[in-house]
Amino acid sequence: MDKKFTVVRYFAYGIEILLLYILQATPNLMPEVFGGKPLLLIPAALTIAYFEPELPAMFYGISCGVLLDFGYGDNVGFYTIMLGAVCFVLGWIFSDYMVVSFLNATAFNAIISTGLICLYFLFFYLFAGKNEPGLYFLAHYISRIIYTFLCGIILYFINKGLFRSLLDY
Amino acid sequence: MEFFSDKKVKIISITVIAVIVLMILGAAGNPVLSSGVNFLTKGLFQVSASAAKEGDKTYDELISENKALKKEAADLRTQLVDYYDLKEENARLWKYYKIKKDNADYEIMPGAVINRDSSQDFYSFSIDVGTSSGVSVSDPVITENGLIGFISSVNAVSSKVTTILSPDLQAGALDKRTKDSGVVAGNALYTDENKTTFTKIDANAEVKKGDIITTSGIGGIYPENLIVGKVSDIKYDKYDAAKYAVVTPYENIKKVTDVVVLTDFKNKGEIKRISEKEDN
Repeated sequence: MDKKFTVVRYFAYGIEILLLYILQATPNLMPEVFGGKPLLLIPAALTIAYFEPELPAMFYGISCGVLLDFGYGDNVGFYTIMLGAVCFVLGWIFSDYMVVSFLNATAFNAIISTGLICLYFLFFYLFAGKNEPGLYFLAHYISRIIYTFLCGIILYFINKGLFRSLLDY
Repeated sequence: MEFFSDKKVKIISITVIAVIVLMILGAAGNPVLSSGVNFLTKGLFQVSASAAKEGDKTYDELISENKALKKEAADLRTQLVDYYDLKEENARLWKYYKIKKDNADYEIMPGAVINRDSSQDFYSFSIDVGTSSGVSVSDPVITENGLIGFISSVNAVSSKVTTILSPDLQAGALDKRTKDSGVVAGNALYTDENKTTFTKIDANAEVKKGDIITTSGIGGIYPENLIVGKVSDIKYDKYDAAKYAVVTPYENIKKVTDVVVLTDFKNKGEIKRISEKEDN
């Protein structure tokens, strides 16, 4: 069976992730809204996982996680593991048990993005004993969560478009 | 009469009559049609005529002149870009030269900010120099306006800088006027205002607004006399009522684009050397 479009699609996902990483990491490029900037790679990985089988979903989850972790330090860590696992599960669920729709994709986006960012805050801010956690969460993390979620809606349509237009029948 | 009821014939007849009327009017010295058309097209003709106006040069000469001018314009554009690059580099090098001139013992490595990732708290950032340029973990990062932070992690080609807005940075410091000593550490309360704090100062310390805070050099991590900022407020901790000063750095940490890493300086790692002596 010819997999020409699948290869092109996977390549397109790679380019998309790279562009989002550059967009996310370039100084003074993405506008800061209420003290927060979006983590574009989280919804990117999630929305790819809705459309792809578990293994490619996991691969892209890990790729996005690695880039997110590189933003924080030089080692793979929290996001690599979490996004790899979450995307694998999502790929499996949406391949075998659920149909992708805007509604359930948005709901999953909201829950998972919020969960991951809150867990990150828990491990790397609260448990690290940094001062004024409540204030910092309100001032930076709430806006980061909302901003990330909103970008996820756009990324859902981008990846849905990529999937539909580059599908092997 | 049936002939005249045909639509096509009616149109042809009207057209012929109109042409005849216009011919008669023209012949009588009243060219209505040409006046109307000229009025409508005058502007267009003015533009096209001026564009097509024949000059002293032939078409081929104009083509070759155009080519030469285009080449000249391209050369000048390149020169202009080079000029701006050189101007920018010159300004940057002057800053480094001043730092080096004022502090002969500093070994410096200039770096540019390449990454401010959304996941990084307290405005940490990455710079484009790493171990291959002699940078190592804990090296102080400065600009001509004072301390910016320290290298918290490093790889071959880039490094992460934890800024003085972060609670992870703790630097021995003193008030330049009163010599009161303390520790400079970031505080989430003031991060967004581009401010840090001067903590662990004595209850009787005479620190006041406007005082300049510098590094003390104790500990061997940061050289002494690096400017941290100016005291903008005196506060008391809400839990233990300890006195601390809010310090405003002279550099906008949130927007800084060029920095210098101090890869070596006098008394670097002094504590380590003292303890080694004691061990011996």
